[in-house]
Amino acid sequence: MRYLLISFCFMCIGCASYTKKNNFIKRETSDIEIRNLYFSDKTQDYVYKANIDVYKKHFGGIFIVKKIEDKNHRIVFTTEMGNKIFDFSFINESFTVNYILEDFNKKILINILKKDFKALIEENPVLLNTFSYQNDVVFEAKINNDKHYYYNTNNEINKIVRTGNRKEKVVFTFSEISDTIANLIMIEHKNLKLKINLKSIQK
Amino acid sequence: MPKIVYLILFIATTLSAQTKMSTIEADALKTKVKALAATTKTISSDFTQYKHLDFLSNDIITTGKLAFKTPDVVKWEYVKPFKYSVLFKNKTLYINDEGNKSNIDIGSSEQFKQLNKLIINSVKGDMFNDDEFDISYYKNQGNSEVHFGPKDKKFEKFIKAFHITFNSKGDVVEVKMIEPSNDYTRIVFSNRVLNTPLADEIFAH
Repeated sequence: MRYLLISFCFMCIGCASYTKKNNFIKRETSDIEIRNLYFSDKTQDYVYKANIDVYKKHFGGIFIVKKIEDKNHRIVFTTEMGNKIFDFSFINESFTVNYILEDFNKKILINILKKDFKALIEENPVLLNTFSYQNDVVFEAKINNDKHYYYNTNNEINKIVRTGNRKEKVVFTFSEISDTIANLIMIEHKNLKLKINLKSIQK
Repeated sequence: MPKIVYLILFIATTLSAQTKMSTIEADALKTKVKALAATTKTISSDFTQYKHLDFLSNDIITTGKLAFKTPDVVKWEYVKPFKYSVLFKNKTLYINDEGNKSNIDIGSSEQFKQLNKLIINSVKGDMFNDDEFDISYYKNQGNSEVHFGPKDKKFEKFIKAFHITFNSKGDVVEVKMIEPSNDYTRIVFSNRVLNTPLADEIFAH
């Protein structure tokens, strides 16, 4: 009986929502809105040196983002020597593969990248709740059907966490921020051995 | 009105200044480039790479160094704005990505062997193989420009054409690789020195 109780308690903790597990304190959601400005300037070419670690394999390349119009982003990945590996368009809610190298043309991979990049470029996700956590204001928002938590320190987004089954699935970290450019971005998958490091190469 | 059209056309053709070579001129260029390539034991050069993507406001500029030693050792090294090098040596491709080292055994990969050959041939300019490419020859402001269009269907999917510019000595000054989408990578060589002895350390890994 005692074991049953203990395991029941564990189950309850296991079932707790992401916000409960982290002891977030709920705040009044007033007229605040989330603005992710890291890829929001149409006049800017966003160019990063990328390092990708996937299942013990390491490879690099150049990661390029351009905001063509409002709700219209182009994302291209090339090798250091300039050969295109993939070229995606995000226009409104639609997603198009303009080009992808044959070896990378796997549905599962494209879906992972699509979700990750959508979170990078989404400027106004649908706000659900607002919380306090240590010195941060955390916004709970929805992109497609996934919950995303935006950690803000002094009005700057330093982290986005995508959850699934109440657990952290993907963590996006933004650092070395100057104006609205995040010079370092890390995308880390918790349930896959996939880590993407982006370092801005603009002057 | 038509007069203006003719005038614009006339100006456009004079400005582009690129005219097709005669067969004699093309043969002479080919002989010159091949002769120079055959006597080239080493190449040392700086380069500036312009990656052009139509949707970007500016080309992405990277700079670095090239070193080549016969028969097939090549080092292609980016210095700015990041450090990254690839070295083809002893049937292996050595990659150094900001200190992160890895290597690929080329011996087993036909693709990498071809890539190695292609890099060497394009830095020497000697790609005059009519079986592999559709080749056309142009004169451009004292330089010569040769367009190589791959005939292989698989290859054509990656690169629509190589445009190689030669100076009057028959040495390569520029290589442009055009993708099927018309985006391109343009590499401009500078401080290019042929046949100077190169220290082994350059090709160390």
